Amino acid sequence: MNVSSMTNKILPTLSTLVYIFLWAPAIILVIFSFSNNRFGIKWEGFTLQWYFDVANTPAVRDALIKSLIIASVTVIVATIAGAVIAYGLYKYRFRGRGLLRSAILLPMVMPSVVTGGALLIFFTRALHIPLGYLSVIIAHITFSIPLAMFVILGRMQRIDWSLEEASMDLGADILTTLRKITVPLLLPALIASAALIFPWSFDDFIITYFVAGVGTTTLPIYIFSQLRFGATPVINTIGTIFIVLPIVGLLLMHFLQKKK
Amino acid sequence: MENREGIPCVELRNVIKRFPGVTAVDHVSFKVEQGKIFSLLGPSGCGKTTTLRLVAGFETLDEGDVLIDNKVVNDIPAHKRNCSTVFQTLALFPHMTVEENIAYGLERRKFPKDEIKNRVGEALELMQLSGMGKRRPSQLSGGQRQRVALARSLVLRPRILLLDEPLASLDRKLRKEMQTEVRRIQQEVGITFLYVTHDQKEALNISDTIAVMAKGRLEQVGTPNEIYETPRTMFIADFMGATNIFLGKAIASGGREVQLESEDGLRVIALENKNIIRSREIVGISVHPERVDVLAENTDLEADNKFRGKIAEMSYQGDFTEMKICVDQVGRVITAHVSNEPDQKARFSLGERVLVCWGRHSSSILVG
Repeated sequence: MNVSSMTNKILPTLSTLVYIFLWAPAIILVIFSFSNNRFGIKWEGFTLQWYFDVANTPAVRDALIKSLIIASVTVIVATIAGAVIAYGLYKYRFRGRGLLRSAILLPMVMPSVVTGGALLIFFTRALHIPLGYLSVIIAHITFSIPLAMFVILGRMQRIDWSLEEASMDLGADILTTLRKITVPLLLPALIASAALIFPWSFDDFIITYFVAGVGTTTLPIYIFSQLRFGATPVINTIGTIFIVLPIVGLLLMHFLQKKK
Repeated sequence: MENREGIPCVELRNVIKRFPGVTAVDHVSFKVEQGKIFSLLGPSGCGKTTTLRLVAGFETLDEGDVLIDNKVVNDIPAHKRNCSTVFQTLALFPHMTVEENIAYGLERRKFPKDEIKNRVGEALELMQLSGMGKRRPSQLSGGQRQRVALARSLVLRPRILLLDEPLASLDRKLRKEMQTEVRRIQQEVGITFLYVTHDQKEALNISDTIAVMAKGRLEQVGTPNEIYETPRTMFIADFMGATNIFLGKAIASGGREVQLESEDGLRVIALENKNIIRSREIVGISVHPERVDVLAENTDLEADNKFRGKIAEMSYQGDFTEMKICVDQVGRVITAHVSNEPDQKARFSLGERVLVCWGRHSSSILVG
């Protein structure tokens, strides 16, 4: 057997194993969400009972809606703020600009426990903001802005800025130029940043847990609290929904892009 | 239309623009005549683009005045200057169609809808772009994109069109076609063009007047013919392809000729040039390689400049052959371009002894 036929066999096998390792937990979770077993860990026949249960549990619905609202507000505020700061950092020359630009990476590499702890102290000791949904939203915006800036600055580096000059040369003022030229040019980056921030905010647990206070339940916190009562099929069900939804979303985007 | 005859369309008076560590534009003054193509020619970094941007209003000047139609416009912002720019990158809006691109300036000026439609249609026709209106810039060829950029500026009917190396990104053949096209369009619309380029041939081809710039200063302003035939400085002579430059001292200048002894000991004769300011010192003489004749060594003839030598290098260039002739005794090399004829076998061969000569009319005096 020569080397190339050996690699021809080994490589696919290895890749398959890696994929199984990546996907197995999710697949098992999806399968058990349909199992008629009270603990969701054994196959005892098909049922949709847990899905009805989830739909009929007010606590789940409440946590889901809260999580969606938090993620939506975070996406909108963080993307706009990130775009404005990125524009300033890119276009204007001032002392410390390079330092500030490098510093946007810092919050992203900082451990969540540190960020969470720091925010908790900041909110309670310095700002006296009561812990609750407001503090969660502020915290999410805080860690999302660097992400938005990172994505948008990347796009800004590839834009032909003489387009802005051309627009002004043709008689547009600064606001019209931003509206007609700059924002449309940045749109792919704005969408990409929103698409990144939404799941980040939606599933953040650590930082949210620090600043949520008592009685503020987002979906990740709800799931965590349920785990204390042992594995329940409800977790499988919620998990399945959140595996299937993004896949549907991705496929939809893929087909829309192909059609274009 | 009011009579603007005699009033320059654009005028620069002693303009200075400094950037940190460099004076990009240094005491530049020139006048651009109404309805002409005026080129700023020079190597990269010579300040030509900065000069253009000063006229456009994208840069603010440090000293001097920029005048449009005899009015100082130093403090008037770009979008109120009644001039329009075609950028080096063309800067077509990628998210708009050709029509939307061309209509952009008209919409900003709040023209009525049907007027915009008419003008865009006319522009498309003038640029031979009919039927392309609904396409995106990315779906067009290089030459077509060029035309859209021109159309987008010209629909506004500006007083002056500023062009910043608009043909730089095209390949040679297309660039040649577009040069002719730019001239045709300019003659059709009659607008003053201020054209920036680093390509001598392009400048010679399309301009009515050329201003050569080097290191932020204006070296010479003249017709293409003057710039090519009588370059005034060593820099221009070199830049315009006059590869034979004899530096030295004038030893006699009487009547209608100047005699110069070059540093390597050759006596070179040139015609006295009335355009040369007499107070400036003559430092050299230049001659274009295609003006140098190469003859058999034993040819008997009278010539102002006549030297014997040996062919040291020959390279075939298609329409001509470049020869480097090493002059006897002094060892200096003179370059000659000898045109090729189809039925003619190479008249000379490498290493052959020849006579090189040219008349005083072909030499140009260089000043310091």
